[in-house]
Amino acid sequence: MSLSTITHRGPEISDAIVSFDPITLQRKPVKKADVLVQFKELRNHEAVRIVERIPERDGVLDPAAVDKILITSHCEMQRMSEEFQHGKRVAELLKPILDALRDGGVQNPIRIVDIGCGTGFVIRWLAASGSLGDDVELMGVDFNVALLNEANRLAAIENLRCKFQVANAFRLDEPATVFISTGILHHFRNESLSYLLQQHCRPETCAFIHFDFHSSPMAPLGSWLFHVVRMREPLARHDGVLSAVRAHKSRYLLEVTRSAAPEFVSAIYGTRLWRMPIPRVFHSLVGIRPKFHDAFIRNMGPRIASLGKIE
Amino acid sequence: MIAGLLWLLATVDSAFIGYREAAGRNALIRKSAYFHRALIRGALFGQIAVLIVGVITAVVLISSRDAGALFSKFELVGVRMLTVYIPYALILLITFCIRAVPSVDIRSITSVLIFGPFTFIRPVIVLAGAVWGVVAVPGAITIALTVLIVSLMLGLEYALSWLRSRGVIS
Repeated sequence: MSLSTITHRGPEISDAIVSFDPITLQRKPVKKADVLVQFKELRNHEAVRIVERIPERDGVLDPAAVDKILITSHCEMQRMSEEFQHGKRVAELLKPILDALRDGGVQNPIRIVDIGCGTGFVIRWLAASGSLGDDVELMGVDFNVALLNEANRLAAIENLRCKFQVANAFRLDEPATVFISTGILHHFRNESLSYLLQQHCRPETCAFIHFDFHSSPMAPLGSWLFHVVRMREPLARHDGVLSAVRAHKSRYLLEVTRSAAPEFVSAIYGTRLWRMPIPRVFHSLVGIRPKFHDAFIRNMGPRIASLGKIE
Repeated sequence: MIAGLLWLLATVDSAFIGYREAAGRNALIRKSAYFHRALIRGALFGQIAVLIVGVITAVVLISSRDAGALFSKFELVGVRMLTVYIPYALILLITFCIRAVPSVDIRSITSVLIFGPFTFIRPVIVLAGAVWGVVAVPGAITIALTVLIVSLMLGLEYALSWLRSRGVIS
């Protein structure tokens, strides 16, 4: 993968090679030629080469081949999450929130829903750690059946207490108490980002934590280096680098959230390492209903300062 | 002593090659046994590489008219290789010790500052050590042996990946 990948602005290949009907959640055929034209117009020759290698049937990208690439990519992404202790990082923020909700009298069970969970690493990690408490239900949702089948298969092997469902996270029969996500915010631009956050404003939802790449001058180069040395699947390499390039700036994310979801007290955590001007790989957008906010801050204790909060 | 140190470094390096080759291929959460197997497999395949180099070196020495002088040359190459490889290995060793601290931030920063960049520059380090060794005692035999060592060091991960693609390892 050449360093020029960091000059591209998007979209990511994984956004272009799959399409779902937002209402029925049915998968729609994606014409290979359309995807190639899109990337050629963007002069993203690397993406063109990667898409050209994906098998097609009657001009449509082969869904099975696409799913195989996506599952492989998610497995490689999980490696990176493990190296950067992402499961622990999520738990560190979730626990003070859950304690605040319990203290505030939120009824059991507390349902944590991971939006766009892919193969469900975070949900499975949290289930395996067993650290959140028995009153917590863990659920991952995604539009991609193949990714969720893989998540369910992996969870079954390890006998983990969590479930995965093809669903719109905001239209679940049993609504989420806390929404979480990893690496999805940068896929949403402008109005769609605002719409995503607006949908958190439902009575049952008490908080959300969205982790994504932290935009910093060094992020694209650092991401390129890590994806070169850690990833094998060309799509995972390409999209991983582009994720860091496309990451929303913390202040922008916060402004959009406050405007779209004013019912929550929102802040960005994890912008710098300890109290030094060292940027982190991931930052987290946290929103919590005002009645739980003080307890959450109290529960965070000294950790809150080391996370570098923007509010 | 020099051969022993080179063997130790080769064994540790190949164990980590085994780990790297296995990483990102298993999406389970609890997989320490999988990684232990990968480390051991890497170290064992490293012994094959060491054996190849050892046998060829022995054959060359036995067939040499002045085995003592040739052995001294090999030792000099080895010493110079170690001057490059040992600092690299020590930095990684210290970083592993730091990573033992149970802090998400400290562990992450070891990856950002050391493990990631050092994996990236590993081929350069391998080549630098070899070149630094060979320039001290340039000659057809030392160059040939050094090229063999470099090829084995850089080729082991590809060999393991190839075996995995053939279903020989999992």
